[in-house]
Amino acid sequence: MRTEREPAGAPVPGEEPGLEELLSQVALGHEQAFDRVYDLLAGPVFGLARRVVRDRAQAEEVAQEVLVEVWRTASRYDRTRGSALSWVMTMAHRRSVDRVRSAQASTAREERVSRMSGEVPYDEVSETVTTRLEGERVRRCLGGLTDLQRQAVTLAYYGGYSYPEVAGLLRVPLGTVKTRMRDGLVRLRDCMGVER
Amino acid sequence: MNEDLHTLSGAYALHALPEHDVVFFEDHMARCESCAVEVRGLSETAARLGVAAAEAPPAALRARVMARIAEVRQEPPLLDRTVEEPLPKGRRTGDRRTDVPPSGEHDAEGRRAGPPPGDVVPLRARPPWRRRVAIGLVAAASAAAVAMGAIAVDAVRDRDELRQAVTVIAASDAKTVRYPVSSGGVCTMVLSPSQGRMVVTTRGLPPLPDSRVYEVWLMGPDGARPAGLLEQAEGDVTTPLLTTPLRGDQRVGLTVEPAGGSDRPTTTPIMVADLPSV
Repeated sequence: MRTEREPAGAPVPGEEPGLEELLSQVALGHEQAFDRVYDLLAGPVFGLARRVVRDRAQAEEVAQEVLVEVWRTASRYDRTRGSALSWVMTMAHRRSVDRVRSAQASTAREERVSRMSGEVPYDEVSETVTTRLEGERVRRCLGGLTDLQRQAVTLAYYGGYSYPEVAGLLRVPLGTVKTRMRDGLVRLRDCMGVER
Repeated sequence: MNEDLHTLSGAYALHALPEHDVVFFEDHMARCESCAVEVRGLSETAARLGVAAAEAPPAALRARVMARIAEVRQEPPLLDRTVEEPLPKGRRTGDRRTDVPPSGEHDAEGRRAGPPPGDVVPLRARPPWRRRVAIGLVAAASAAAVAMGAIAVDAVRDRDELRQAVTVIAASDAKTVRYPVSSGGVCTMVLSPSQGRMVVTTRGLPPLPDSRVYEVWLMGPDGARPAGLLEQAEGDVTTPLLTTPLRGDQRVGLTVEPAGGSDRPTTTPIMVADLPSV
């Protein structure tokens, strides 16, 4: 049962009892606890950074920043506001996205988006995502979305694009993109059985 | 709830909102329990997408991280120990505040690791749920007001403005809120409903180059509007800024802007605080 719930090859640290407890020990300065946290989270954090920023060296920098930040701010994790896994992955995604966005002057980025309009770069993105995803469950759930939902969600999450940029890439109205991101995520949530 | 704003929850959870929208969505979320719950579930879902991308990190990373943490001091908890009762959910502000890069460095995470609610220190007529908070902090608040008065004497060149600032601070209905600024330092706001004015001052903010300035924003249903620029005074404080909040204003923001200020925020806020409640 548990193996069915877990993506093959990718640990789901949030489901292992203890990540939250480990963080509270880390908050007390226990380096051994942090070592264990590293075991559980370094792969997901680095992999996500790689997916978003692409460049390996930069992804390493992002991962290092995030993991050190986990150490530094462990006392501020509040389990009433979500799982420890979500706390860390949100941080990792935020930093990755910031890295990508700050790397480009906004004008250059806008030009790029308008240039890319109609070139369907999302096929490449979503295909990469789907073929490289190690999580069977995630892949299956992504497969259950409409094309537009999947493209909107994966371009934003793995591509690090803002929703206006995604709208430009997919040539659909802003409102449509907002809605597809939301209902796409809602469908994923229900498919993955994420607790609410 | 506002349906249009509510549809931003997916883009928010995916970090796909432009910065301005983030501020307004979080403002909305602070007052919309169902939105906050939905965002939590969607963030958890997004986290699974992240985990699905897991990849073996380079072996050298562990050594680098471990070497680094040996030199990094850990943050203390953000909970204010004098706050014995949690603030009601509806009064909570968004977590965005810690999500802001301290000068150049990109933020930790903030969305979940929210900083403490501001030190809400109503001096009078406080609602019961705040009473215990207030008792613990009222002395500090008075000290803050006194300190601000002293600052005003030193820093305000314009006598009339000084007089007005002191009037606000000394008003019987003055309420004080102090908030941490993510890039360092503290912002103190004193609001007097009877005077219709609010004084904003700071201590310990990092100095800015001449090409940049700290700008204060008042945020209401129509968005953020400029409330003035903070001028560096002597020492590490800024000249008290007199602002005029309008009915419907909910929050105070602080950003770094190009010299001369901007009409709309152009950078990630380094502070977003609830207005002292009236």
